[in-house]
Amino acid sequence: MGYSGVRGGQEAIAAAERLARRDRLGGTSRWLELDQVTGRLGLAVDRVMGEAGLWAPELAARAIRQSRGDLLEAAQLLRAHRSTLPRLAYSSPVPAVALRPVRRIAPAYRNPPGGQVLGATDDYTPRILDLTDEDTARATAPPPRRPATAGAPVVAPDPTVPPVGLPPAGLLADRRDPADPDPFDITRAPARPGVPRSARLTAMARAETGSLTHLWYLVTQAPRNAQPEIPLELRRGHLPLRIEHPFTGSPVTVAGVRVSEARTVRPDARPHPDGSRFDIGYGLCLGDNEAKALAMAGLDLLVHRDKTTNRLEQRVLTALDGPELAGYLEHLKLPHYVDFRSIVDRLRALQAPDPEEGL
Amino acid sequence: MNTLSPTRTGTGASRAGALAGPDPRPGIFDELSKRELRRAMLSGIAIPGYQVPYGSREMPVARGWGSGGLQATLSLVCDEDQLKVIDQGEDAGVNASNLRRLITEHTGAGEETDTRAADIIQSRHRIPEQPLTDGQILVLQVPNAEPLFRIVQEMDEQRRMHAEADYAKMWVWLYEDIVHNGLITAAAGYPVLVEGRYVMTPSPIPRWDVPKMNDSDAITILSAGREKRLFAVPPHTRVVPLTFDDRPFEVEYTPGTACRLCGSDDTYLVEEPGENGAPGTWSCSDTDFCTRRRTGDAPADVAGQPVELARAALRRATREQEETS
Repeated sequence: MGYSGVRGGQEAIAAAERLARRDRLGGTSRWLELDQVTGRLGLAVDRVMGEAGLWAPELAARAIRQSRGDLLEAAQLLRAHRSTLPRLAYSSPVPAVALRPVRRIAPAYRNPPGGQVLGATDDYTPRILDLTDEDTARATAPPPRRPATAGAPVVAPDPTVPPVGLPPAGLLADRRDPADPDPFDITRAPARPGVPRSARLTAMARAETGSLTHLWYLVTQAPRNAQPEIPLELRRGHLPLRIEHPFTGSPVTVAGVRVSEARTVRPDARPHPDGSRFDIGYGLCLGDNEAKALAMAGLDLLVHRDKTTNRLEQRVLTALDGPELAGYLEHLKLPHYVDFRSIVDRLRALQAPDPEEGL
Repeated sequence: MNTLSPTRTGTGASRAGALAGPDPRPGIFDELSKRELRRAMLSGIAIPGYQVPYGSREMPVARGWGSGGLQATLSLVCDEDQLKVIDQGEDAGVNASNLRRLITEHTGAGEETDTRAADIIQSRHRIPEQPLTDGQILVLQVPNAEPLFRIVQEMDEQRRMHAEADYAKMWVWLYEDIVHNGLITAAAGYPVLVEGRYVMTPSPIPRWDVPKMNDSDAITILSAGREKRLFAVPPHTRVVPLTFDDRPFEVEYTPGTACRLCGSDDTYLVEEPGENGAPGTWSCSDTDFCTRRRTGDAPADVAGQPVELARAALRRATREQEETS
């Protein structure tokens, strides 16, 4: 009964979807293969996987293709998909030495054990737009090799590049939590101020990269954070994913992921008990996303230091999630004429003459 | 070394079964999550107006497009239920159409536009004009769950204020509004006191709809997906808009307006601008009620309290005119 009245809205939505589909799939351009997205736009794929919190290069490529390159939207698509998957197990912790680095730089030291390993990076390449003509570029392209995102190989740690050691004892504030609580699962319970550090780290690992960078930049410019921040080490590499064997109970490596990891220190010379020591911050995120790992480490440190107020912690927990902030912005596009009329009513009432004026 | 608790280990298959539960349809929302939502709703009903946190899964709609209401509705809806979804009071609104399609595709619920025949009504920004009855559930989508967010920023402090019923700053804020503006300027989403205990946002419904929440026969669930919390108003609960004794609560009302379609002047009307500077026209925001008014299938006088408040506002406006002339 009465259903015909709603047909119009649904037909309009269906028509809008057809138009968007034409934009996505129509035109004369060739079909975009998923391996082109994973192979040629790897950093976009990594970013989407990190913000979605799901390691699945092919699915991330699908999401990027479906969203026509809108990475925020792609992350939302992958998140929604992730939400439908059962959680099969919790992985076991892996030590830092299990990460096999393909890149490792240690800004705090000239020549750390294992050396500075630059790896594949454009950091030192001049930022010049490559205007080589297409034929020459194709002819000079290096021979194809195994795509980097086809799943990380399971390999033993490379002993020649050990993690950089911490500053000598006595220079580092002890931030270890003797209680060693289980990690907080932010996908199962809302993260609010006062949650364990693991919740902040997870929230930042899934944060929207631009927002995280922005918040780090904003906070790090504040006068009270004037002490210089120096990363001990930035690493990119393969990290094994281990779970407990269901029968033997011993740890087994079932998969691997590529991660970016940063550890950063900052002295605090203000007069308080730990004033003469470094604080340390840690960042780790999925894929090749060095900016995110660095910003995360910097913010991890500053949240810890923000003892008197939980404002920074609250921002880290609630203001960085891509689907949340983009979704809230998106909601402005929905009809608002009911509340608009309500506001107009108040403004008109404000402009009406004051009833007490004539008394 | 961190050792995970025994409950977190086990075989993949048993973990999947235990955590994901049965899933007869290719789902967008697993059974365990639905159970979590139902528990949260029961907590909300037990403590009217209290904000109950929940996990809030990512849904296949943007955060802010009803992901919280969607989770509540999906947890409540049964195959035999009749579902009505409205946005701004309109069944054909884009958000309503979008969510209705999603829910009916993933459940066996039937689609309904007649408020009287619906078991569950998911709504954005409106409570239907037709009084709700015993057994009906109204699910409201909530963009901002915290009524104190305009006053204090820290979530810890907000929670403390709720826990201690320390709403002094809220009263000061309302008082300052009157001092500066001569009236309370809060428009949609007017803060209310629930059962004398918790200050709550009724979601951005117009002030017109706020009295309908008081002593309602139906259950109202308000769910904020982005902010990961929900709250509820059980049947026959006192819901009182915050105001002072000498400042009667005012609802939206423009004297002399009536719906251009059904002629009603006792429903919530929205203005449609005229073309080329022509005066605007008014129509009911509740399209189901408007349609039934035209066919004589709607009660002649249902709005009750809102229209009385509106008439009080009209009397005030008339008095003002007399005083100024």
